[in-house]
Parts: sequence; C-alpha cells; structure tokens
Amino acid sequence: MEQNKVLEIRHFSKSYGGAVKACDDVSLCVESGDIYGFIGHNGAGKSTTIRAAVGVLDFTEGDIYINGHSVKDEPMDCKRVTAYIPDNPDLYENLTGIQYLNFIADVFGIGAGDREARVKKYAEAFEITDALGDAINSYSHGMKQKLAIISALIHEPKLLVLDEPFVGLDPKATFTLKEIMHEMCENGTAIFFSTHVLDVAEKLCNKVAIIQKGHIIAAGTMEELTEGHSLEEAFLEVVSHE
Amino acid sequence: MNNILLKNMLLSTSQLNIFRTTKDEKKKRKIEGAWVGMTVIYLMIIVYSFLSCIGFGGIGLIDIAPMICAMTISGLAFIFTIFRTNGYLFNFKEYDMIMSLPFGEMEVVVSRFVYMYIKCLPWYLSVSLSMLVGYIIYAEFSLISIVMWIVLTIFVPLIPMVVATFLGFCVAKISSGFKKRNIITTVLTFVVVAGSFGLNYAINKLFSDGMVRQTLENIYAVNEKMGQVYIPAKWFADAINNGNIVGALLLIGSSSALFVIVVYVIGKSYRKINSMLKSHAASGNYKMSRQKTRSVVQSIAYKEFRRLLGSSNYLVNATVGELLSLALGIAAWVIGFDGIIKFITNGAPVTTQMVAPSIPFIVYFLIGMVATTACSPSLEGKNYWIVQSLPIDKKVLYKGKMLFNMYLTVPFMTFAILSLCITGHMNVLNTVLDVILGIALCAFSTTWGCVCGVKHMRLDWENEIEVIKQGAAVMVYLFPNMIVTMILVVVMVLLGLVVNHLLITVVCILVVTLLAVLCYWRVMKLAEE
Repeated sequence: MEQNKVLEIRHFSKSYGGAVKACDDVSLCVESGDIYGFIGHNGAGKSTTIRAAVGVLDFTEGDIYINGHSVKDEPMDCKRVTAYIPDNPDLYENLTGIQYLNFIADVFGIGAGDREARVKKYAEAFEITDALGDAINSYSHGMKQKLAIISALIHEPKLLVLDEPFVGLDPKATFTLKEIMHEMCENGTAIFFSTHVLDVAEKLCNKVAIIQKGHIIAAGTMEELTEGHSLEEAFLEVVSHE
Repeated sequence: MNNILLKNMLLSTSQLNIFRTTKDEKKKRKIEGAWVGMTVIYLMIIVYSFLSCIGFGGIGLIDIAPMICAMTISGLAFIFTIFRTNGYLFNFKEYDMIMSLPFGEMEVVVSRFVYMYIKCLPWYLSVSLSMLVGYIIYAEFSLISIVMWIVLTIFVPLIPMVVATFLGFCVAKISSGFKKRNIITTVLTFVVVAGSFGLNYAINKLFSDGMVRQTLENIYAVNEKMGQVYIPAKWFADAINNGNIVGALLLIGSSSALFVIVVYVIGKSYRKINSMLKSHAASGNYKMSRQKTRSVVQSIAYKEFRRLLGSSNYLVNATVGELLSLALGIAAWVIGFDGIIKFITNGAPVTTQMVAPSIPFIVYFLIGMVATTACSPSLEGKNYWIVQSLPIDKKVLYKGKMLFNMYLTVPFMTFAILSLCITGHMNVLNTVLDVILGIALCAFSTTWGCVCGVKHMRLDWENEIEVIKQGAAVMVYLFPNMIVTMILVVVMVLLGLVVNHLLITVVCILVVTLLAVLCYWRVMKLAEE
C-alpha cells in the first residue's frame, strides 16, 4: 500500500439483514492532505460507510485500511490515528466539557502541557472556553458539536472522519471549522466527511464521491466531477442518470 | 389514560418485540438467555412463596396466608415503586418528545403509573398465585374465595404504589428547587427508604412480644393485629377467609380513590417539576488551567464515578449497600456489636462469638447487593460510539469499570468489617483475615458483576432504569449472589461452632479469590470475543 493513502475502502458491502444492501461494493481512497467530501441522499449509505471505517460498525464484506492497517484485523492501530465525529454526538452528559476533553486526552496519552495548549487553542477558536467547567447536559446542540470537534482535534489525528459536521454549528463556528480543516490538510491530515451542503463541499474539498442506494456512482477530483459546472448541477446530473 | 401512550411504552421496552423484529441472531440469543434467567428467578419466587404457604398450612395457620400474601405484595410494590418513580415518572429521557405531542399531563402521569404497575405485576402474581395454590391445599375454600383472591391481587399493590409514587413526587418537588438536585434526590430517597424500614421494624416489634404464643393460641388475634397496622391487608384477608364482600369493596374503592387523588395532585404540577428537573444551571466562568493526566484505566474509572454522581437513579440503586454498611459500621461504634446482634435477632440467644466468623459475609450481603459493573456496560447506551471509536481495548474498558467498583466498595467493606471486629473484641489476626476476605469478596462481586454486565449487555434502552434495576445482567448477578451469601452467613455461623474460625476464614479467602480470578479471566475472554 502506498504511504500517502490514509483511508482506503476496498469493495466494502454491508447488509442489515434485509434483501437490500445498505452499502454495495464501495471503494474509495483518501490520501494525506485530501479533504474528501462524501455526498448522497438521505439513506444512501454515507453514515454506514463512515461508521464501518471508524470501527463502530462491524462488517464482513470488503476491507478498510487506515494508514496501512486493516480496520478489521488491527482496529487499535487504526483508531490511534483516527478521530471521528458523528452527526449527532451523544457525549457523556454527566461530565463537564473539560472532564470529557481530559478523558479523550488521557486515552491518547497527551501530556499535560500539550493538552492545555491544544484545548486552549481550539476552545478559544470555537468560543466555548467559559463553558468548559459546566456539565455537558447544560450544553446546546451546537456546543456539544463544538466539544466533539475539539475532542477530535486535540490528539492531532492523521485521519479526521466527520459525519455532517456543519449541522448545528453557528456561522462563526462553521467558518472556524473550515479554516481548521484547511490548516490540518496543509499539515498532511486526511479529512473525510459527509455533507448535504454542496456549496460547502465545492469550496472545501479537492475530492468528492457520490453515493446512491449504497453504490458509489461517481468519484474523483472536484474538477473531474464538475467539469466546469457547479457541484450541485453535477450531483443532480449524476443521480438522475442512475 | 391514553392507551396509545401506554401501548407504545410497553412496545418500546418489550424484549419480545425486539426479539421478533431484530435480525441480529446474537441479540436474539442474549434475549433468550435473559428469559431463561428470569424464568429461574420467577421459579425461585414461586417455590419460596408456595413452600411458605405449605409451612403455614402444615402448622395449622393457613388462615394467616392471605394476610402474609397481602403484606408481601404491598412491601414489594412499595419498594419497587419508590426506586422507580424518579426515572419513570419524572426526569425521563423522552419527556420533551412526549410532552410535545397532544397528550394531557394527567394522561402522561396515568400512563406512566400504569406502565410501572404492568411491569411489576408478574412479580406480584407469582407471589400471590403460588400462595393461592398452597391456600387451596389446606384451607376450606370456596370458588368465590379463589376468584376474590385473584381479583383482589390486582388491587393490593395499588395503595403502596400510590403512596410510594406520592413520596417520589414529594422528593422530586423538593429536589427540583436545588442546584445539586441529584444529590438532594438521592438523600431524600434514602431518608424515605430508611423511614420505611424503620416503620417496618417498629411494626415487627409490635408483634415480637409473645408473637409465637399468641399465634398458636389465637390466629384471629394475630390477623387482627396485623390488620390494624395495615388495614388494606385486613380487607384482603377478610374477603378471602370470611367471604367479606365489604372488605373487598373497601379495598377496591379506597385503592381507586387514592389513585385518582394522587394522580390529580401530581398532574397539577407535573410540567413545572419536570421543567425544573430537566433544566441545568451553567456558570460559564471556566478559566483554562494545567490539567491532571491519568492512565486510561484510571480515566475510565473516573468517568464511571462521574456517571454515578450524575444520575440519582443510578446513585440511589448502586450505593444503597454501601450506605447500609456505613450505617452498620457506625451502629457498631454506637451500640456495640452485641447491641446490633440483639437488635437484629430480637434478643434471641445468639452470641458475638457465634456470629463473628460470618462478619465479612454479613457486610457483603449489603455491599454485594449491587455491583456497578453489572449495569455499567449497558449504561454506555448511546455513548457507546465514543469507546468504540477510541483506541481503547475492551479489556482496558472493563478493567476501568472494575477498578471503579473496587474504589466504591473496598473502603465501605473495610470500614464496616473493622468496626464490627473491633467492637466485637476480635483479635488482630482474625480482624486482618476478615478484612482480606472482605476485599476478596469485593473483587468477586466486581468481577462476577462484570461477567453478567458484559454477557447481558443491553445498549438500546429507553430509560436507564431498565438496565439499572430490571436489566437481565442485574437480575442474573443479584439473585444467586444474595441467596448464596445468605446461605454462607448461616453456614459460617454453624461451622464456627465446630471448626476453628481462622481456618474457615483462610479457606474462604482462597475460595473467593479463586472465584474472583476465574470471573476476571472470563471477563477478559468476553472482551476478546
């Protein structure tokens, strides 16, 4: 496997027991420095693919590799370099924000100095420093989303996987997240995220995959996919032909 | 009552529904396992109830059976409800969703009360119907008394449930005005439970004077006395023994009237209390500072600690044994070990020396009632994605959970054993060995709880009470553990009369440690699977 392939999904299929597969023969590759958008209708198979990639969902068909390690056979090696933010993060409601971040930092073995600097940097960027001492159950949906994002960033992952990361974020936080994604991408982090906001994907991503009814129906660089049109036009064109 | 609401609650928490709809074979096997476990527990209750009734019949006291049946069901109904009101009736997760739908407050209250009732009814019926069989064997019964027994069994739990619900409502109402409402709820619930036990003890004392003599001389006098203490039980017994229709009507009428009154009172301020309980104060003045680092296992243990403190349902249920052991230890210093023995045995000829070998098991009977490890794997619930997506080996996760249970139990176990040993004037070697045995028992409780918790893990719960109080893991952990411990207390007392105390303790330490190691090994194996 080439060194710059951070996430590689090969012929991944997933069925939840019914006749129809949630994902069928999904293959894609996210390289170091990529911001890879994953778009599709509701129920197309985006979250299933993402959950399998981060080791939350069990699967039997196909292979998923993170940084050269198999998600199936070497899950711990994969998880050590990955950060995942689900679409609706259920966090430990009884912890305070700072306690949750400390928990994540402890899991990744981040020293006291580094964690303080990183928590400070990202908490200030997302403007939730004042709330870190409060219990998560007092947070709004957007604040929980911000906290989940900070927890994903503080261990400087090689692969950042986000499921609908912009839902619930205020405009300032959306801008901040996009800036951070660019910064991470320049530092070699691979970012793979699903979204329904095609304008954001068009401006942010260098690669895109479109999934419909569990099948990847188009994938490639933004230029290859859009061919001079907007991503919205390209998306509608591709899905209408399937 | 709103049938749609009730039906939906029953359906959403029904294991049968999950079994029928899931395509996950592993989940089906787990549910089947839980059903087998529950069947065993029901069988134990049925056999015990039936045999106790046979016992009454055998010594010619079968007429007391209806009274005992009513008292037992009432006691169970009170205890079940008082621990569930907060969680089922108040501060439940889906409150916002339910209240946003076109349901009246009274409808919600009634539906949730009836839900609690239906969920516990099989327990009450298993006691009542098995006692009825014993009653039929010995009593001069008529068809009407059998019908009365069955019909009135449905009404007997209502009054204690309504009273417990009202007390739970008072606790919720008082604690909703405090910032640290979880702590206040926990303290108040313990006050109510302690008060109930105190009342129970006072009632027992009422009967202790000449009870046996009086019973044998005149069974009707005993029935009268018990009936005076708890009148609804007298109505039930009168209806069964004497075919007293007035008693039956009084039981049905008063249960229904009390239910309507309490539902009305709760319904009036239901929204207000829940709104206050569900709001969370935020200070928003955090200043960034240097953070403390922990190992992953310690960090998970700390997370478990916060989880415990964050939920009054969990806190009340998980720490009841620890608080009782603390009370036992303090009582030993206040009234002495002799005083405790006299208090518990009501002056029976039991000496300190006789009880001494069973001290660790007596304390374990309290502390081992609940192990956080039995429910904490299931309590991850919707948060499970966090540990799943983090580089945490399942073995490490379970080690963290077990470490927390040891942190919780060992100090209380040590304090209570030391208090009893010192006030019982035991020598240093006996005391040290008892403490070691106590710690070994904590380790066993922790690891056995974790085996049950992992084996019967259930993440798709709607209300945390489902896994804290009535989850398969907790049931499978609790019942064998409690019964074996009760037997061991008696065995230790009897063995202590013929074998050296030190020898018994050393053997027990070895056996319990071996069991704990085996359970730990099993947890690690389950983690690999």
